[in-house]
Amino acid sequence: MKNDKAKIKTIKVDYLARVEGEGALYIKIKGHTVTDVKFKIFEPPRFFEAFLRGRSFCEAPDITARICGICPVAYQMSSSHAMEDAFGIRVDGQLRALRRLLYCGEWIESHALHVYLLHAPDFFGYDDAIQMAKDYPDIVQRGLQLKKTGNEVVILIGGREIHPINVRVGGFYKALTKQELNTLTEKLKRARDIALEAVRWTAEFDYPDFEQDYEFVSLRHPDEYPFNEGKLISNKGLDISVHEYDNHFIEEQVAYTNALHSKLKERGAYFVGPLARFNLNFDRLSPLAKEAAHSAGLSPVCRNPFKSIIVRSVEMVYACDEALRIIGQYEKPEIPAIPFQPIAGTGYGCTEAPRGILYHRYRIDDNGRILDAKIVPPTSQNQKTIENDLWQFIPKYLDLPSEKLKYDCEKAIRNYDPCISCATHFLKLTIDRE
Amino acid sequence: MHEFFLMKSLIDTLSSIAREEHASKIISLTVKLGALSHISPDHFREHFIHASQGTVAEGARLTIEVMTDTTHPQSQDVLLENIEIMNS
Ligand SMILES: [Zn+2]
Repeated sequence: MKNDKAKIKTIKVDYLARVEGEGALYIKIKGHTVTDVKFKIFEPPRFFEAFLRGRSFCEAPDITARICGICPVAYQMSSSHAMEDAFGIRVDGQLRALRRLLYCGEWIESHALHVYLLHAPDFFGYDDAIQMAKDYPDIVQRGLQLKKTGNEVVILIGGREIHPINVRVGGFYKALTKQELNTLTEKLKRARDIALEAVRWTAEFDYPDFEQDYEFVSLRHPDEYPFNEGKLISNKGLDISVHEYDNHFIEEQVAYTNALHSKLKERGAYFVGPLARFNLNFDRLSPLAKEAAHSAGLSPVCRNPFKSIIVRSVEMVYACDEALRIIGQYEKPEIPAIPFQPIAGTGYGCTEAPRGILYHRYRIDDNGRILDAKIVPPTSQNQKTIENDLWQFIPKYLDLPSEKLKYDCEKAIRNYDPCISCATHFLKLTIDRE
Repeated sequence: MHEFFLMKSLIDTLSSIAREEHASKIISLTVKLGALSHISPDHFREHFIHASQGTVAEGARLTIEVMTDTTHPQSQDVLLENIEIMNS
């Protein structure tokens, strides 16, 4: 424009920002045989590892929390634990309980999202939650209410809704009072009722006959259902401390994806997440959660990944129960954080994100600067297992039109992970028929 | 992790509109968040501030409207409604 003055104008856009390209699936079919399956996802943690180098240790919880808007607490907890491990400090007592409560909030929030909005529509044959909301507005509303309660727990303890700012290495910036926590009690009781209903509701879905002999991996704590700490165990003999993670798990560079495939050195693919936790820690659930699982006909070992929707619901009951227990026994700690001095060393942390174990490792210099960081999210740990499932799953549906095949593959993938499936139709599918 | 893609998609669109319109700067924008879009206004704002750094949208005033109707056909989406640009 040939005008001296700058011009301002408003443009009406109406543009839909969509989330695409996160997942891609390549299937090769010769005649009636599946000859290749490649599933790839994009992994932001790799960028963050580079981004963390040279930063101060105390920035790690806030920076890594930005990796995922669905499970920021898990990133904060794993990074805090890893730093505390490096500096040789332990967060105990009521501070530890507060962290557990924060984790309860995230589980409720994330599971409610997955169960009601991402996974349930699959069992009713809907394309997405919008379609389902038209026919089942009450159910979708209940899901949103549950999610909101989880959210409120995270806001209260974390100080802010997303990427909580109250968490720090050593504890919190500010410890809450009992009165403050009490404001959650009634909401959590209602949430627990909704979660119990979710267990009954999902138990009645039609489940495909699909069971595989998985290696389930989760944390195991001497007397708690695992959130923040424990040993790493599996149903096939793994029993190690988090410090030994790198001796047993390797990440493989796979030619077709920029993501790394995580494998157990000895046996290959493994399965992390709610189903793994449930199978390996059933005895640590609260009596109410156990009873809910039993009456839903669910008991360990459950090998059907589609039933993870019932397990997520059971874990929501547990998280509400556990949150109420923590609030009941809470007393404000005298100091909000354990004092410490950063020292050079390596620290390891692994916690149970809603979708499964999240491993962090940091090497720190004596100024508290991060020399290198390693972050292994649940998504990359399950990737090989998801691919294996698809190998089993696809041959049964080969004759379906591509759109339908894609939908069924998405369903199989949604058993695992809300992070890659937060968009419905997220998958780019390529079928190569010979 | 879907915020990454959401923001990338949004910033790409803003940049291409700015190019088409020969705009030097985006002054403001309005987005609507669907009731099922899994993203809250605070969260969105924070990611936007982050993602817009160094782009034509850096410093733009962001107005966010939250839709509450879960059955709306676009309730899982984020809608960019309008942008205000400055031509130079
Ligand atoms: Zn996540």
